[in-house]
Amino acid sequence: MKIVLPPPLTEPPQEQSFVQDFKLLLTNQMRVSWSKLRNRPVGALIGMVVLLLGLLAMLVYLGFFAYGALKTMSPQTVQGFLSLLFMVGLASQIFFGITAAFATLYMSDDLELLFMSPVPLKVVFAVKSLAVIGSNLFTAILFAFLPGVFYGLLFKAEASYYILVILVGLGLWVIGTALAELINLVVMRIVPPHRSKEAVGFIGALAGIMIALVFQIPNLLISRKDGVNIGDWLAGQEQMLDVMNYFPWGWGSQALVTGISGDFLAGLSWSMLILFLGTFLFVIAFTLLERGFRRGFISLSQGEGGRRRKKRATVVNEKLRQHGNTSFSIINEEVIGTASPWLGMWAVAKKDLLSMKRDTREWFGYLVPLIIMLFFVGQFLFSNAESSRASLITVLIMYTVMFSGNMALQSFGREGESDWLLNSVPLAGWPVVWGKLAAAILPTLLLMEALLVGTALAIGVSTALTFALALGAVLLSLGSSAIGLFYSINNCRYNPDTPQQRISPSASMFMYLINLFFILFLALGMIYLFPPDELTSILQKLPHITFEGGFLSGIIYGLYLLSRPLFWPTTMRILLGIIVTGGVWSLMFFGFMSATVRQSRKGFRVELVTGRKKKKKLGKSKKSR
Amino acid sequence: MEHILIKTNQLTKRYGTVSVVKGLNLEVKSGEIFGFLGPNGAGKTTTIKMLTGLLDPSEGKASICGYDISKQPTQAKALMAYVPDQPKLYGKLSAREFLHLIAALYRVPKAIIEERADQLLGMFGLGDRVDELLESYSHGMRQKVVLAAALIHQPKVILLDEPTVGLDPASARLLKDVLQEMARQGAAIFISTHILEIAERMCHRVAILKDGLLIAQGSPEQLRQKVGHGGESLEDIFLELTGGHENAELIKSLEEGQGQ
Repeated sequence: MKIVLPPPLTEPPQEQSFVQDFKLLLTNQMRVSWSKLRNRPVGALIGMVVLLLGLLAMLVYLGFFAYGALKTMSPQTVQGFLSLLFMVGLASQIFFGITAAFATLYMSDDLELLFMSPVPLKVVFAVKSLAVIGSNLFTAILFAFLPGVFYGLLFKAEASYYILVILVGLGLWVIGTALAELINLVVMRIVPPHRSKEAVGFIGALAGIMIALVFQIPNLLISRKDGVNIGDWLAGQEQMLDVMNYFPWGWGSQALVTGISGDFLAGLSWSMLILFLGTFLFVIAFTLLERGFRRGFISLSQGEGGRRRKKRATVVNEKLRQHGNTSFSIINEEVIGTASPWLGMWAVAKKDLLSMKRDTREWFGYLVPLIIMLFFVGQFLFSNAESSRASLITVLIMYTVMFSGNMALQSFGREGESDWLLNSVPLAGWPVVWGKLAAAILPTLLLMEALLVGTALAIGVSTALTFALALGAVLLSLGSSAIGLFYSINNCRYNPDTPQQRISPSASMFMYLINLFFILFLALGMIYLFPPDELTSILQKLPHITFEGGFLSGIIYGLYLLSRPLFWPTTMRILLGIIVTGGVWSLMFFGFMSATVRQSRKGFRVELVTGRKKKKKLGKSKKSR
Repeated sequence: MEHILIKTNQLTKRYGTVSVVKGLNLEVKSGEIFGFLGPNGAGKTTTIKMLTGLLDPSEGKASICGYDISKQPTQAKALMAYVPDQPKLYGKLSAREFLHLIAALYRVPKAIIEERADQLLGMFGLGDRVDELLESYSHGMRQKVVLAAALIHQPKVILLDEPTVGLDPASARLLKDVLQEMARQGAAIFISTHILEIAERMCHRVAILKDGLLIAQGSPEQLRQKVGHGGESLEDIFLELTGGHENAELIKSLEEGQGQ
């Protein structure tokens, strides 16, 4: 084939202005964003619309709430209230801005490409910074623009006042983003490139937990009998409000308060001060960022680890040097007998445990139950009602089952693109499955036992019940994990963009459903063992029921028959309880474990999911192997 | 015709107290294919990143087509192309859209973008998949897209980091032919590779880097003379110079042991 190539350039093309380059990169950024949106699955688009509607509803609700709160306050208190809102807004912008800045400026795949193109770095960072600013838009509208607008509407401000609202909003928006970018510089320096994906997951999860906490605060406040009045609380905090005047959020409230009082020029001065500070911080952040990247102070996330990697390599080389030629003699050694499969089982478990320990994103799976428990304990302490104790224990039991199942669901998907390894080693069958079970259950049990016993002690449950709860948790965890493992091996998937989502949603739903039945049947056996007085007294009053034909009558009669053993002699009842509880547990645990082992022997495949396309690796289905 | 297109002068990169590239002096002329060799962790990629302006040197300077990469990066970048070892592309763009973007970034006139993009993608055998999203491409196909993108703006200097990784034999051969044609037209090709056979067959000159230091430079023939034996392949010379010959001798002795 004859290759026809145009000759190389002799002179570089004429340089373009900053604006021309900026427009070019911005168009590209928008094209990529549009392409991303266009290629999303319809389900995800519907989800986004629903989320947007939800956010709008929340915006309207919070707007009315803030408007109502402003109505009841004196002008001085309003100033403090605005300061407080602006301060919360800035904090939120910084926090969410760090995540956005980290993803945009450190993890973005196109950075190397853009840095290589003949476009000044300043333009690249200008476009990227615009993306970070954009990510803070919602927070800025909520906490920087809307409070001013509502304040103006409430006191029927003149049109000129809204210029101040825009200036203050813009200033706070830029300050928040600039501070986020500055803090992000430190984060980028601390986080090594190869752990950047973990870091963004970590920050994102932290953000999620903070949002959940913030949304729970009103619930906790409402459940307090004495109630909380923000206006009264602010009125008693004069000293704090005075101190706020020295900070940008205080300047913002002063700008709006003086502006609405008719002193537009004073308001304008405060607004310009905020805007000036924002621009100043932004220029510093921008310059440091550009220099940081150019001088290698910050490396691209796809770059080398630098110093740390070098030093570690030296240590390894030194070790190898000490061993010298002996490493090659291993090849000539005689083959020794094979070790016990239990060693292989432990190797599988250890691999998963190490992966969980070293990937910070895994930790958040375990933090979620802790936080949920924290809320329940908090609610228990707040309301201090007797009924809370029973509900707390029920929630703990339910959560132990669901959490164990959920953690086991992640097991086989964790293999990701390395699924070939466990399929190719001579370990398939029970060593792999029991290894996976051990890895899934050890941290779960440790956490849930600590939670159960700790909570039981904190709320003053009897020792016998605490012991029963601890024992129950072990059995529940094992049973539920066996169910989870079965669904994991058959429905595991891997998406490089969201590596923590390792299971298909439908399989997850089925797993929860089966777990519910598991609890239900176990509960039946437990009732025979420890019959609740309330239930037996109700059942005693029931008339004799007979089967009259039909589905409903069949169910009622079935339940009636199931309740009869409660009135058997104690020995018989306990014996049946042990048989039912042990039978249900054994059936579920060993049944699901053996099914998983069978599938492991056949081989398992982690389904690769990328964007809207998903493909099975090596073959069309598991059965085809 | 023999202008120096790539030049480094005492180029050094340090991370803290650790130097990864130490006082590198290189010159690559117009029409030359220059092989850049070295064991893993020798500093090859760091050097390429400094040459492309992705990293600022701690000391020394690098120039492309006479433009200092630190002081006149835009001019230097406009005349060169970089093919990284890991092709990171926009997954949500098609190959055609990607080439259009690159052409726009390098200011290729609009009138010829379409024709040249189709020509290059066709040359690399991607003609029937130009409108598919890049996320669905295999590693080799992505590498081909990057190569096509590297050629679209008629670069005077091409820097390639392990360009044949993931390419099928036909594509690897095509790449060699393309690079030789570019060199014939006066471009300077700077290629970092571990495949010494490629370096031996294609490169006019090679440089060997070890622990950040340039330990040898010259044509394969000159290196043979320098090592002082004669008749060795570039692989033998490389192993001798980088200390890898100890391993090679061990492997040889093992082979002899098995044969007995």
